[in-house]
Amino acid sequence: MGNNILELREISKIYGSVGALRDVSLTVSQGEWIAIMGPSGSGKTTMMNIIGCMDKPTSGAVILDGMDISRESQKGLTNIRRDKIGLIFQQFHLINYLTALENVMVAQYYHSMPDEGEALRALQRVGLGERARHLPSQLSGGEQQRVCIARALINYPRLILADEPTGNLDETNEGIVLDIFRQLHGEGSTIIVVTHDPEVAEDAQRTIVLEHGRVARVTHS
Amino acid sequence: MFWRMVRGAVFRQRGRVLMIALTVALGASLATAMLGVMLDVGDKVNRELKTYGANINVIPKGASLLGDLYGVEDGSGVSDQYLPESELGSIKTIFWAFNIVDFAPYLDARAVLNGGGDVSLTGTWFDKRLELPTGETLVTGVRGMKSWWDVTGEWLAPGDTHAAMVGSAVAERNGLIAGDTISVGYAGRSVDFLVKGVFDAGGSEDDRIFVPLGAAQELTGREGRVSRIEVSALTTPDNELSRRAAQDPQSLSVKDWETWYCTAYVSAICYQIQEVIPGAIAKPIRQVAESEGAILEKTQFLMLLITVLSLAGSALGISNLVTASVMERSREIGLLKAIGAHNSPVSRLVLTETLAIAAIGGAAGYFAGLGFAQIIGQTVFGSAVEPKPMVAPIVAVLVVAVTLAGSIPSIRLLLSLRPAEVLHGR
Repeated sequence: MGNNILELREISKIYGSVGALRDVSLTVSQGEWIAIMGPSGSGKTTMMNIIGCMDKPTSGAVILDGMDISRESQKGLTNIRRDKIGLIFQQFHLINYLTALENVMVAQYYHSMPDEGEALRALQRVGLGERARHLPSQLSGGEQQRVCIARALINYPRLILADEPTGNLDETNEGIVLDIFRQLHGEGSTIIVVTHDPEVAEDAQRTIVLEHGRVARVTHS
Repeated sequence: MFWRMVRGAVFRQRGRVLMIALTVALGASLATAMLGVMLDVGDKVNRELKTYGANINVIPKGASLLGDLYGVEDGSGVSDQYLPESELGSIKTIFWAFNIVDFAPYLDARAVLNGGGDVSLTGTWFDKRLELPTGETLVTGVRGMKSWWDVTGEWLAPGDTHAAMVGSAVAERNGLIAGDTISVGYAGRSVDFLVKGVFDAGGSEDDRIFVPLGAAQELTGREGRVSRIEVSALTTPDNELSRRAAQDPQSLSVKDWETWYCTAYVSAICYQIQEVIPGAIAKPIRQVAESEGAILEKTQFLMLLITVLSLAGSALGISNLVTASVMERSREIGLLKAIGAHNSPVSRLVLTETLAIAAIGGAAGYFAGLGFAQIIGQTVFGSAVEPKPMVAPIVAVLVVAVTLAGSIPSIRLLLSLRPAEVLHGR
């Protein structure tokens, strides 16, 4: 088990009287690609927030890279997020007054030190070297998502966490983004993708299906 | 990177920036205009009030004693005490000479009109061109000091040696109009004067006949002498120090004395006039001096109130706009937190952006305020408001303080934002 990057031990999350997650356990190995699926309200987002250190479970333990993060302070969670996790969002969440290059450099700035050359290489890697000086409003949805991926990768995270990464993309761009994921997986990155889309889940090694806050089934490809 | 983000936020979001900058500019322009006018309003209001007459009366020491002991009024012409006309120019040599706007000497006497009844006769300067001991020349006299007189006919000109201005009450009693000739007698001598004007002063002066000082001196045989001098001076409103000094300047400490002497209090100016005219007592016309002080203080208070209210309004506007802006940017702020930014760097970023926008708005507002001050100066006082260098740093400090105060609610909101809530709605 020394190869595990993430372990959820019977975590629950209760909002008032509503249980968003109930006794969920999950182990993710280094380099593994996992898809989390489920209908709306099944607890996918809650699970993603907890894995992404943006929320804490009401009970249970979260072990990330060998460290129990379930009792960490907000400040501690921010540091873990910064150092170990690369976040990819369905809405991209780019800063609209910064260029693609600057959006990537922001992640460097809050992590350690901005390096324009390295940020540019990250954009080139996702095929956006020529669009580095463009503002988000000048980029297509697919290009914005690729900027988001470049930003997530820039600090070499231990875990890439993607929330519906193709939810706002057309088929062509979906293909481009999935290709990038395949490439990252091939290079040994650990990826957890939350998705509605069975086509996206197809590439994952394991698919966890959540229903009513519980793991309903697990499928291996 | 920090400054790239600030620059991007300031220069690439023009609509939002413009609203905040405009709010700050409005507050800063009002503050600049009001502070500018407030700092200059003392002189302006003072000059305005000077058109309503003198605020200092200078009389011989002996006449002052008669007044104090027996209630003999200044100018009644019964005291046998006089001041030398040759010393009048010295008034413009005192420490606060620049604040002496106008002055006029008076020689009072009881005379006989047209061989009939008694009348109060006053010799004075109307438009006297005076050579000062400093080598400068000054035009002074009652024409400048009694500008509110309602004159039928004409004011006396410098060359009119045997002309007179008759008060409306005297004119009515004696059926006089402009163009008539009157005979004024004193101690057996008699001189004819042409009535050039009949004036209505709305007071005791309506019972007098005003003639040139030289003619009155010749008629009464008091060449080179005057009974009293009225002085119109720009003064600073009284305070505790000036009131103590007015009672006894010698009771002040050396430091207080210097402060008092070097401030344009009416008592300090009176003291300095006494220094240059030996044997004279200079007394403030209290009601005028106090009214001027009260009007000045109230005007300044009003300006200050408008400044404070405009800044408070500006702070509220900034607060609303910045809070709305933070709410609008909650996803961006949530993202910064999600990728590892702590509260303090995010707060610093938002505050720096807001201050940068405020600096732009403040600078624009400052220059607009200088323009507003000129408009106020020209409209209200008919003259320009002199820009005071101290206004710029005061406005800068106020803009920073108002912006920081206005940003407090937005910073509190920003600190409470949680990335999971703003990015994923949970």
